Amino acid sequence: MISLTVNGKQKNLDTDKDMPLLWVLRDVLGLKGTKFGCGQGLCGSCTVHLDGKAVRSCQTPLASVEGRTVTTIEGLSTDGSHPCQVAWRGEKVPQCGYCQPGQIMNAAAFLAETPSPSEPQIEKAMAGNLCRCGTYGRIKKAIRVASGSVK
Amino acid sequence: MNLTTQKISRKKFLEGSAAITAAGLFLACLPEELLAAFTDPETLSQFNPNVYIGISSDNVIRLVIHRSEMGNGARTSMAMLLAEELEAPWEKIKIIQAVGDAKYNDQNTDGSTSVRKNWDSLRRAGAAARMMLEAAAAARWGVNEKTVFARNGEVHHRGSSKKLSYGALAIAASKLKTPKKLSLKSPQDYTIIGTPRDLVDVNAMVTGSARYGIDVEEPGMLHASLERSPRVDAEIVSFNGPEVERIPGVVAVVSLPAQSQDVNTSAAVAVVADSTWTAMKARKILKVRWSGGRSSESTDAKKTELQALVQKKGKISRNDGDIGAAMPEKRINAEYFTPYLVHAPMEPPNAFANVTEGKCHVIAPTQQPQRLRKAAAKFLGINKKHVTIEVSLLGGGFGRKSQPDFAMEAVALSQRIKKPVKITWTREDEVRHGTYHTQCMQRLDAGLNKKGNIETWRHRTAFPTLLTIFAPGAVSPAEFELAQGINTLPYRIPNIRTESYPVKSDVRIGWLRSVLHIPHSFAINCFLDEIAVSTKRDPVQMRLDLLGKPRILELSEAEKTGPYKQDTGRLARVIKRAAKAASWGKSLPKGKGLGFASHYSFFSYVAMAIEVAVNDENEVTVDRVHCAVDCGTVVNPDTVTAQIEGAVSFGLSLALFGEITLKDGVVQQSNFDDYVIARMKDAPEIIVDLVDNGDIPTGVGEPGTPPVAPALYNAIYAATGTRLRSLPLASTDFGGQW
Repeated sequence: MISLTVNGKQKNLDTDKDMPLLWVLRDVLGLKGTKFGCGQGLCGSCTVHLDGKAVRSCQTPLASVEGRTVTTIEGLSTDGSHPCQVAWRGEKVPQCGYCQPGQIMNAAAFLAETPSPSEPQIEKAMAGNLCRCGTYGRIKKAIRVASGSVK
Repeated sequence: MNLTTQKISRKKFLEGSAAITAAGLFLACLPEELLAAFTDPETLSQFNPNVYIGISSDNVIRLVIHRSEMGNGARTSMAMLLAEELEAPWEKIKIIQAVGDAKYNDQNTDGSTSVRKNWDSLRRAGAAARMMLEAAAAARWGVNEKTVFARNGEVHHRGSSKKLSYGALAIAASKLKTPKKLSLKSPQDYTIIGTPRDLVDVNAMVTGSARYGIDVEEPGMLHASLERSPRVDAEIVSFNGPEVERIPGVVAVVSLPAQSQDVNTSAAVAVVADSTWTAMKARKILKVRWSGGRSSESTDAKKTELQALVQKKGKISRNDGDIGAAMPEKRINAEYFTPYLVHAPMEPPNAFANVTEGKCHVIAPTQQPQRLRKAAAKFLGINKKHVTIEVSLLGGGFGRKSQPDFAMEAVALSQRIKKPVKITWTREDEVRHGTYHTQCMQRLDAGLNKKGNIETWRHRTAFPTLLTIFAPGAVSPAEFELAQGINTLPYRIPNIRTESYPVKSDVRIGWLRSVLHIPHSFAINCFLDEIAVSTKRDPVQMRLDLLGKPRILELSEAEKTGPYKQDTGRLARVIKRAAKAASWGKSLPKGKGLGFASHYSFFSYVAMAIEVAVNDENEVTVDRVHCAVDCGTVVNPDTVTAQIEGAVSFGLSLALFGEITLKDGVVQQSNFDDYVIARMKDAPEIIVDLVDNGDIPTGVGEPGTPPVAPALYNAIYAATGTRLRSLPLASTDFGGQW
């Protein structure tokens, strides 16, 4: 039995301990907002927060999250009001939208640590999050808006 | 009477245009096939004037979108067309995704068609509904129909303060006949078309509640991961099924035979389990012995074969003037190579299927639900009315999800195990079992006269045709493949000849965003740049000189699919606008360069100027991209701009990194570490200039891609003096801070 907190709720799971957190979230807990893109930690679509830090949930075995706190896109805010979500809407970031939960979770954890990032800092922090639709310019802008550095 | 956009005659279209000018009204009829009532999947709307609209007494306005949403903004732009003529309050509409059914007309979300091919039919559907609501109100009030008008979800009486909501009129309107003559709004009265609108799904997308195919969860559903034959058409000799079945959570391990063209599934062993992870994990200990397979292609050998072909005379498809009789003063030639590419949508292919007694239910991120429906009905030997294809959101498509293979695997597996099942492809599956963008070798030869003007232009192109996915053994290019760029060359050159070759290949070729326009635009735009340099001309001015006075060009037969024409004046205009925006001709510091390309595709005109910086280590940085785009009437400027930005990113990915190679018939790449796509730091500033000239809308999703690679290579030449002719950049002596 593995115990962890997901989006503020205690979960006790009798699941294969090797199962990556990604699939625990999606198939066991029904939280489908966290996406599968590569299974190798190469694309960032599966990014969630583990004790507040951005991690690739496809590379995080369930056994390693015992007693820890996980936040997914569903738990980032109850109503889509997190500054990143607001900025993502405002800058009209999504095209297909598939990678965006991972992008938003990565950006949210980054901004929590680096409230006023420089452009190279943004590019470095977001380098592991791929978007095939090519929304990078808008993501960059949304991060600047969310950081409060662009009025 | 049949007046679909697709089939409307040129004459009819011109008459329609004339009507706009004369009366401010476009009188038209609703196509017969759209008159069938919309069947509301939730509650029955009281007023169902046609397949696209349902209005209920509680004032809910349901708009049915029959094209797939894959980042193209179709669910928003198409709703805008309906809502505009319906006078529907935008914030109150509810979007319903259509299942695959021919009653909706063509649902193939491909070829940059969602807006342009539904421009007439959706506006007409909206107008018909609006006029019926107006007629119902007039009858209720006992007033002349001319004295009432619909505005924003209500019908008003001109002479009084009377008004009724659409919901209050729904039942009365449902008893009326569809008007024979429709009056469409005059463009100056548009309140929705041409205004920026947020995607209808944007909130769901940023909160994680948007549902893609991969997110499907149905009662009793199992999960499967498939090991497919590494070579096309290899067969299964044996596999260790019982060993894999002993893993806890594994339900079954079964083999599935290949499905032939045009479904194109490979023979596979399916590991079926109680979760996606269990299926994927168990698949790792699955061992399959394969035999045979028709492909033994290796990229280097194939490239040599294609290169040999373009040295010889090929089959002529366009032949203007007499290339043999011309006596040019100077000759110039060059060869260009573009490799196989894979789509790599962020959501890998996946599909849910439930085959039960004589019925089949599929939920899939498909671009082509009707093709899938037909394929499933044929495979199962049942009438297609018993096959339901639900279309989820697509996490990117780019042409890959036009193919029925991944969903047909789910259909075959569900039939076999008699259970509902979802198949999820891994990234490795997607990269190794693609329907690839074709590789292409081209040789261009030009003859120049004393003044440096181009007298002769010979364009040879050799590539495996995508017809192989439809017919085994197809070797000769389709006319539409040659129409993409080379047979539509718009320049005034007296002697033009295009030649192509039969090429045998067992690689599955498919559509990828802008298709053959990618290699053809690459070669044409790079070669024009080479000619400009060799004749000491400015490449932009040379393009304008070659276009000369505006002309309307005959389209090739393959392109005559609607009321379109190629207007060289519109191409010249975008060339001028992009050049001006980029301050073309400005002096740049050492190591910087500006490159230019322009291309006509999907009936739209795009010109692009790309600015690069190249350092002493030959590392290239793309600083800025200026795009000028003429796609006729812009329906949703937000979406059009985003699509061009996205197409530039897509074009940069293929120009910088994209390359699929084969060794002995097996694809060598597997994931984003060896099939690299652009990251944030590779993304330049992109400035998009939209020319909205009020003409009919033309393609948007694809036309931004073809000019990217040549503009980039021309910019690298401008910065360094080194001429590159082979994609991607990563395969050359140049690179980047990757």
